[in-house]
Amino acid sequence: MVGRRTGGGLALAGAIAAVVVAGLGVAVLALITSVFTPGGNACSAATGADAGAGAGIVLGPPGAGQLVGATEYGGPGDPSSGYVGSSGANLLQLPDSYAELGGGTFQTATAMGGLPYLTPLRITWGDRSAVAYKRDIGLGGGPIDGLPRVLDLWWELAGQLGIPYEDGLWSGPVKIERPPQTGAGNVLGQASSSEAAPELIATPTAEQDPAACAPEAVEGVPVTTADRAQLLPNGLAAAPADAPLAVRQVIAAGNQIVGKPYVYGGGHGLALSTIAPGYDCSSSVEHLLYGGGLLPVDYDAPSGTLESFGEPRPGEWVTLYANADHVFMYVAGLRWDTHNAAGADDGSTGIGWHPLIRSDAGFVARHPAGL
Amino acid sequence: MRKLILLCALACAGCGGHGAPPEPSPVAEANATHEYPSPAPPRQTATRPALGATAVITSFATAYINWSAETVSADMRSLAARSVGQARAAMTLAAAQTAGDYELQRGGIANSGTVEAVAPRSGHQHEYVVVTLESTTASDTTAYQGLKPAWHIALATVTEQRPGRWVVSGWQPEN
Repeated sequence: MVGRRTGGGLALAGAIAAVVVAGLGVAVLALITSVFTPGGNACSAATGADAGAGAGIVLGPPGAGQLVGATEYGGPGDPSSGYVGSSGANLLQLPDSYAELGGGTFQTATAMGGLPYLTPLRITWGDRSAVAYKRDIGLGGGPIDGLPRVLDLWWELAGQLGIPYEDGLWSGPVKIERPPQTGAGNVLGQASSSEAAPELIATPTAEQDPAACAPEAVEGVPVTTADRAQLLPNGLAAAPADAPLAVRQVIAAGNQIVGKPYVYGGGHGLALSTIAPGYDCSSSVEHLLYGGGLLPVDYDAPSGTLESFGEPRPGEWVTLYANADHVFMYVAGLRWDTHNAAGADDGSTGIGWHPLIRSDAGFVARHPAGL
Repeated sequence: MRKLILLCALACAGCGGHGAPPEPSPVAEANATHEYPSPAPPRQTATRPALGATAVITSFATAYINWSAETVSADMRSLAARSVGQARAAMTLAAAQTAGDYELQRGGIANSGTVEAVAPRSGHQHEYVVVTLESTTASDTTAYQGLKPAWHIALATVTEQRPGRWVVSGWQPEN
């Protein structure tokens, strides 16, 4: 028996929907699946009544966790789900399994961007976490606690996380993140696949950021119609649609390395086109500026040198604050920093985008010419 | 007088650039090719050429995937010494980068695995596909906790250093 995930408590609704879909024919099915078309414009589909069910997420790079809505399925109280995944895998023998939601096939279940089969994810609930592998897909449903419903946990996996078994009806938020890449080639940064920057998919949800699906979204950089850059729930930033190309490129470069660990001296000595295993304040700022075409690829300087970068005073779009000990900057109003400098609600403690402003006392303000 | 004119004509014919052209200067060549010509590198020799291509690749791959944060830099130096060409350059770079890699040290990261297959790449002489099954672990961070061993593929190229003696000359992990 092949289980078709509808997402916990929506199992009955899913069955009814299946009958309805069968009755209304291919046109309705096409309408439903169009919401989840892989590689298509998820923004244009995620509107109106479809917005909740069609909401997807953008998985960040390894280590960048985010809260999402999850459900459980399978087990003795949920016989309708069966125990054979859509891939044909016997889930009783593979309890560390999850299903990506969003559609009835592997091509259309793309609530997390359409992860390849067997993609590992670290899933955390409370203080427990486990690595699970994608072996199934399902239709899904509306948001859970305001979060997009993106994955279904095999009941034994849920049990391992300490989630109480509710006969396949449990739903709630969990934290998911990509585990680091393994293998000597990846750890040593020599594998062909590790040279490429993490792919960014412009599919922030309408619920998370209604303005994030502007038609100007380009080059995989999320775009917002707001006049300032917006911090998305997954830690990435959306660029204002009317920002100059260089500013959008700076934001894209930041999104490439969000969540990388802070390492004093990290990133230095490498070409700025390289994605380093870790960064410090100056190397991360320089990576962003290089991304916007504002520094040459071989530029490498400590924070103090950036006190003389560009032109004095704050810029319209980009402002660096530098001194001999530290450098941070604002890009379209959103702070890029390596420290949790503005308090507990500052956001990421590592390098990344931070929602709050911090004191600039003791820093020299500089900006790139024209920005 | 006729003889003098003939000699003069023959002499003048040599002014037209016949014969061997002058050696171009390095600067002129650099201007033309946008690349300053460098002398040919000395021929590299590896310390441990092996009898069979498969054997040398298996030995190389086994060393490449089995290391700890404490040993990785020395292990890569050793691999550089027993390889030539691109493989030597890649291992030298890895040795240098891992020597000062604070993240590797702080996390206590180690890699281990087995070489599961070495097969000739179809249509590519001296190239082999290497399949490994590897685990990455960390003693001081939970980042790798719970991850199963994963399959990896690398492309290896070998060169016959002496008759019947092979060394790895290219090493490109693909994933």
